[in-house]
Amino acid sequence: MTLSPLTRKKLRRFKSIKRGYYALLLFAAMIIASMFAEVLINSRALVVRYQGRYYFPVYGAMIPGTRFGLDYPYETNYRELSRRFQADGGGNWVLMPPIPFNPFENDLRTDEYPPFAPSFKDRHFLGTDTSARDMAARLVYGFRIAIFFSLTLLLVNYGVGVTVGCAMGYWGGKFDLLVQRMIEIWSNIPFLYVIIIISSIVVPNFFLLILIMVFFGWTSLTWTLRTVTYKERAREYVLAAKALGASDFRIVFKHIIPNTVSVIVTYAPFSVSGGIVALTSLDYLGFGLAPPTPSWGELLQQGWDNMDAWWIVGSVIFAMVLTLMLVTFIGEAVREAFDPKLHSTYE
Amino acid sequence: MPKLRVLIMGLAVMLALSGRAWADAKLPEDIQWLTNDSDPVYAADKAVKGGTLNTAILSFPMTFRTVGPDSNGSFRSAVLDNDLSLINIHPNTLNIIPELATHWAFGKDKKTMYFKLNPNARWSDGKPVTASDYVFTLEFMRSPHIVAPWYNDYFTREIDKVIVFDDYTIAVVGTKAEPDLYLKLGIAPTPRHFYGTLGPDFVSRYNWKVAPNTGPYQIDDFQTGKDIRFKRKKDWWAQDLKYFRNRFNVDRVNYTVVRDFNMLWEYFKKGKVDVFGLTIPKYWHDKTQIPIFEKGYAEKIWFFNDTQQSAMGMWLNQDREIFKDKNVRYAFSYAMNIEKVIDQVLRGDYFRLEQAFVGYGPYTNDTIKARRFDLEKVDYYMKASGWRRGADGIWEKNGRRFSVEVTYGFEEHTPRLVVLKEEAKKAGIELILQQSDPTAAFKKFLEKNFDVAWMGWSTSLRPQYWEHFHSVNAHKPQTNNITNTDDPEMDKLIDAYRDSLDEKERIGLSREIQQKIHDIGMFVPTFMVPYIREACWRWWRLPDPPGTRHSDSLFDPFNSATGGMFWYDKKLHDETLDAMKSDRAFAPVTLIDKTYLKGR
Repeated sequence: MTLSPLTRKKLRRFKSIKRGYYALLLFAAMIIASMFAEVLINSRALVVRYQGRYYFPVYGAMIPGTRFGLDYPYETNYRELSRRFQADGGGNWVLMPPIPFNPFENDLRTDEYPPFAPSFKDRHFLGTDTSARDMAARLVYGFRIAIFFSLTLLLVNYGVGVTVGCAMGYWGGKFDLLVQRMIEIWSNIPFLYVIIIISSIVVPNFFLLILIMVFFGWTSLTWTLRTVTYKERAREYVLAAKALGASDFRIVFKHIIPNTVSVIVTYAPFSVSGGIVALTSLDYLGFGLAPPTPSWGELLQQGWDNMDAWWIVGSVIFAMVLTLMLVTFIGEAVREAFDPKLHSTYE
Repeated sequence: MPKLRVLIMGLAVMLALSGRAWADAKLPEDIQWLTNDSDPVYAADKAVKGGTLNTAILSFPMTFRTVGPDSNGSFRSAVLDNDLSLINIHPNTLNIIPELATHWAFGKDKKTMYFKLNPNARWSDGKPVTASDYVFTLEFMRSPHIVAPWYNDYFTREIDKVIVFDDYTIAVVGTKAEPDLYLKLGIAPTPRHFYGTLGPDFVSRYNWKVAPNTGPYQIDDFQTGKDIRFKRKKDWWAQDLKYFRNRFNVDRVNYTVVRDFNMLWEYFKKGKVDVFGLTIPKYWHDKTQIPIFEKGYAEKIWFFNDTQQSAMGMWLNQDREIFKDKNVRYAFSYAMNIEKVIDQVLRGDYFRLEQAFVGYGPYTNDTIKARRFDLEKVDYYMKASGWRRGADGIWEKNGRRFSVEVTYGFEEHTPRLVVLKEEAKKAGIELILQQSDPTAAFKKFLEKNFDVAWMGWSTSLRPQYWEHFHSVNAHKPQTNNITNTDDPEMDKLIDAYRDSLDEKERIGLSREIQQKIHDIGMFVPTFMVPYIREACWRWWRLPDPPGTRHSDSLFDPFNSATGGMFWYDKKLHDETLDAMKSDRAFAPVTLIDKTYLKGR
């Protein structure tokens, strides 16, 4: 793929804005790490060596306890297995991930009630929530859901928004007028109430929630795209394409949209953070993804109810601030890099 | 002439309809008058009169009326409990005890009860309570002016009439023969001399009027939006009756409006409110670890009662293909680790509910025990029906996984369900948790649109089976048979139970039906809370045991069956205030009373 000199210049400029650049690197690292969260945070062992054979339980089917000489047919408790192998002292061993808990299991104790404070001994580095689930696991898996939710939302939102916005700008006239009015009415539907009503009837899943949010989210982008397209349509290259007999579809998607990409890209990071915040607040209010899905909003809710368990509210707020800050830094840098008016100072 | 006849007949009909049948009613000769002065008393001999109980309500009532618009608030019971009825039920023995009537008798037709009224009974304004006031209850409750359709309907369809024999002898007649007739016919009088003829202005006219009553206390003073003060009647007519002696001891009961629960706790800590309910685990275990309890100025009481328990648990929808198989239903029961939830999530504060109808006295079959978590039994029943464990450990058969949705309505229940879910996974069953808003969840249940319903039913004095388990109510929406139980044998038992007028037979049938419910296995009982927990300042004293079998509060000031058993000890009050001033501590007190706790 060859990049136009203009794009290369923009990339160079983005790279030169250090804060945004490193924020992007860190953010990308976080997303990639979260994609392999199963290897880092899991109740399943990475490797088990048992009677000369190796097992890799992380990905794949459940291995019942009977396979390792235990007396139960359900999923092996690898933490216990590890302790048992160590006590036996044979050639068997278990390699656990750094945080040996999955986000759903309740690490309950007798005569003590959750939430439990952070403890290196128990490997609950951030403590547990009110159902004795590991906070770090809930946070990381919650982040993965939130970020992919947000990215999917962005993609669909922009797909619809850009298409409609461009169509309005390109065709203009009565079509533009009509769709404008429609969007005005549309955007007056109270989003939160609709969500509350819908989720009281059906329990929303990932895709249904995206669908609902796209239903209300696509309108905001159309205004900008409409204006930009109006501007581009009047340019000579569009006229030239038309003269060559290109279809409307081709003109919009091949010629106009690539020239409006700077606008789209500038908005994107802010939409990502908007998506995360939206999902978190819906979960906080109890209208988001069904329990026991790991979710920041639910943790925030727990933290609010249990202020004395500072590790819950503390780690969620830290995680949220970090994520939103990174995204905002990226967004600012992108905006600056794509800004056609480069601020240069002459001496 | 015919015109006159029509007029006379019309008058006769009107008389009959209005419920007064004065015309030379004759008391049957062969009835047997009963009374009860042999059941044990449950108040304390050493109780003394005096003091003021300060308590709170969360909002000021919208009216003092007990019928009509806006009357169904929480304050209603405070007014209503001071209106005595003809008879009551002894809270420990469940036998009939006298209240406004001294004697009663059952008619042969199984729908009439006769009462001899206590001639000493007085309204709070000093007027005697006579037969006419009971007749007026019917007129009052049937009047359209009270704007209470439910009562209009109930007192028309369930109670036929009140027959007056003389000023102190009446009969109350129900519309149909029924078991446990006394629960329905022991009506309360309504002061005819106070209300007179009802008019369309009833609702607004009586909003803030204090109607004469027959109970121990009467509203003395109130400030709208702020407080309501009750005062004990001097020389209350019933104070020396056997079951009322040594009860209703405090001189005054003040209700202050405290709009927030957390604020109420602060009021209690400051001593502005005398008692506080501690049933919520957080309060009992954590919030009471403060000086006033540690120094013994305030005390904690955990009192186990033995009253009807809500049928709380998991209801399996037998119209779902998977739950049509009895083995699968049994396996599901054995896969629910309720004990773990109780021990490790609920701090051991809840108890395992053994079956759907616990606490109904002889009507409860105590031999039934809920199925405990048992992986081997799950294995046995699933294999018996030809299921196999899949790659993810979940049972499978013909391409169907044992994965079911559990629908529930309260977010606070999520911590319990996530533990059940993780434990069920061990047993090879996947639970998908579906939380929705309580109303929506309940609608789903009534429409039979669920796999597993996580819910509890409210209770009644006798177990009700027909609405929940009779096939008439199965396979159609908006009935309480949410499990779609459709079993011919069950129908036969329930019909017999409903038709029987013989108490012994009904008790036998009731127990059989409960066994049948257990055998069908469509209900997994979960928790019950067979106790009350309260905190009080140490100058409040209670009898031993502190409550009755059916008490649902230890500091209820008015309830004519279970209330008013506490008293105020001035010496202890002074002593405590002194101690608080000089920072002297007493031994902390946590009273745990297990008199009525079954089987432990």
